Amino acid sequence: MNKNWVLSQEAFDALLDWLDPDREQAGIKYEQIRLRLIKIFTGRGCSDAEDLADETINRVTTRLEEIEKEFSGDRTRYFFGVANKVYLEYLRRKPPQLPPWPPSDSERIELEYRCLERCIEQLSDDNRELLLQYYGVEGGAKIEHRKELAKKNGIGPNALRIRAFRIRLGLQKCVEKCINL
Amino acid sequence: MNLNVDRDDMKKYLLGTLDADRKSQLEERILSEPDVYEELLLTEEELIDQYVAGGLSGVEQQQFETNFLTTSERQQHLQFARHLKRYVNSHAVLVALEEPSSVAHEYEVPAATGRSFFPGARLTRRPMLGVSVAVVAFAVILFLCWHVRKGAEHVPNTSGSVAAVVPLTPGSTRSSGATVTRVQVPPKGSDVKLELEIANTSYHHYQSELLRENNSLKTIGDLKVEAKGEQHVVPLTIPGELLSPGDYQVRLSGVLDSGADEFIDNYSFRVIE
Repeated sequence: MNKNWVLSQEAFDALLDWLDPDREQAGIKYEQIRLRLIKIFTGRGCSDAEDLADETINRVTTRLEEIEKEFSGDRTRYFFGVANKVYLEYLRRKPPQLPPWPPSDSERIELEYRCLERCIEQLSDDNRELLLQYYGVEGGAKIEHRKELAKKNGIGPNALRIRAFRIRLGLQKCVEKCINL
Repeated sequence: MNLNVDRDDMKKYLLGTLDADRKSQLEERILSEPDVYEELLLTEEELIDQYVAGGLSGVEQQQFETNFLTTSERQQHLQFARHLKRYVNSHAVLVALEEPSSVAHEYEVPAATGRSFFPGARLTRRPMLGVSVAVVAFAVILFLCWHVRKGAEHVPNTSGSVAAVVPLTPGSTRSSGATVTRVQVPPKGSDVKLELEIANTSYHHYQSELLRENNSLKTIGDLKVEAKGEQHVVPLTIPGELLSPGDYQVRLSGVLDSGADEFIDNYSFRVIE
């Protein structure tokens, strides 16, 4: 298959239909599969993980008619098999080198930090407090501190971990937007 | 979330050291199970935090740099973690617990000073240790008596019990009151350990002066620099009795091999009720 093949709207719609009869759910599933494929390729040390994820999806899409007839089971897992093939082909090609680390730009670093300050100020009081408390203790005392914090918030330690992570994820997105303003 | 995923496996996966079979099984689950994928994202951020805090072993640090930092996205996450650490360090609100016994439980207490001097039950099982402790305790009491009589110190000394560890970055108090590092008044009989972040570690040793509204409260010399993660800090223990609500400043100087001292920076913090 030509890896530069571009997904047409018709092919994309067929893929979505295959993923889920509900178009909204299908869209969510598509995004999830793509993001997870990127993570998997990244985990395998592929510098162009996004391209490989798209190539995997394109390859599934082009063979959709056959797959629909032959394959039954968890559709998400089908992508895994195709991803493995795409990865083997990637290994045979000369992988592009990761561009060298850009020199640290102190102005850029300061801008990112100012953006983070701004984004944290936009958090609710509860979330800001939780962020400071959760990440405020390091070293040996961290585990016990987080257990106490979870207890104080009336949730389990893992629920607290997920809550702190989601706040952090929101901040990362906010900082990205702020930098691009 | 009951994932049945070994967190250690997840960490190994991210560091590129998980064996091929388990790696393949894990990847399949990452693709098909939303919770496993979320766990991967969580572990990724925690691994980055560990690296930033200097919590990885030498081998893991090497694997992190070689196998993990392979994409610009992960490099950006690393930068974000550094910013977050900086922010949290400069906005620390260290809440002292109501029960003095649980203070050491919640906050980092250095092993050398944080333990009780009389370990109670353990001594009854180890009589020689008990005798040794009694001898040392007697010596300490004698020393304290001598010290009080001498009247050499006009300011309180550290108590040995650290209620809070407060990282401070250099720089004056910022104009916005919300951005200065805040520390709660420590419980009676306990101290606050400041960790003054420094860039220049070439001095023989360091000395500090604690000021409150330009009045010098205490000078502490012969301080040594310590590595903390990727940074260097000068630890400084402030007797809790010196701290009451108000604005404080620490002036840090470096002492050269020649004995001459050079001003390095000011560190500010606010003590709150």
